Amino acid sequence: MSDLSEKDIEVFIEAIGSYFKQITQEAASIGVAYLAANAFPMNDFTGMIKVSADYEGALYFSAPSAMLRHLLTVMKETNQSEENLLDAVGEIANTISGNARKYFGENMVISIPEKVSGLTSKLDHQSRRHAYVIIIKWKHYSASLIVDISRIR
Amino acid sequence: MKLMIVDDSKIIRSRIARIMADATLPAIEIVGFAANGNDAISLFKATHPQVVTMDLTMPEMDGVECTTLLTELDSNVKILIISALSDKATAIQALKNGAEGFLYKPFTDAELINALLELIEE
Repeated sequence: MSDLSEKDIEVFIEAIGSYFKQITQEAASIGVAYLAANAFPMNDFTGMIKVSADYEGALYFSAPSAMLRHLLTVMKETNQSEENLLDAVGEIANTISGNARKYFGENMVISIPEKVSGLTSKLDHQSRRHAYVIIIKWKHYSASLIVDISRIR
Repeated sequence: MKLMIVDDSKIIRSRIARIMADATLPAIEIVGFAANGNDAISLFKATHPQVVTMDLTMPEMDGVECTTLLTELDSNVKILIISALSDKATAIQALKNGAEGFLYKPFTDAELINALLELIEE
């Protein structure tokens, strides 16, 4: 098992930055990635993508409901039901992990999104001893991207 | 021209439909939505669309397999893949299986309209 490099993590930072820029026409402020063993900054809704093949673990995008409602408004989506908020976090997690394959290649197989509300600050099946946490600030909201992925081949 | 929208995300399906409506593209009529490949096959047989927007990562049947089956049913169908999967191998595979265009997520309204117009005008 080998660790992801700083360059590897930069791929996820670029992908989330690009998502906000493209969808909202407004840059998000992306914090420096830090390592955490537990106490992950989970918000109201979380989208999770599991990875497999040459990698193991998962990527999480977790956002407060107010931020997701605002994003849906920007996308001109008037249905802001819980179902659509969950759909939004799943789609964002899916887009970031899918975009990251441009760099990691097809040997990072990604799952369809799992979407949950009210996730606790502990990960159920943590792959790494310390996972990377990236904080995204957009307008006055704060969301988190957690990269709990290891390269196994 | 009849259009079918296939994506497991409801907000993406709605967004594509809304962009089409706002753009008032005269020749395009949306005939239905599907959230996975199996539903897309059934809807395709019932509505006979000439154009399809197709996600790749979906439950039950993914977009690559669905693209293959749709082109077997109608070799003239024009399929635009709309996916976040940005590696070259995936795009090549989708095009080999019968897709005619590839649009990466996230996309802007203009990018979607241009991609669909290019596909239709081919």
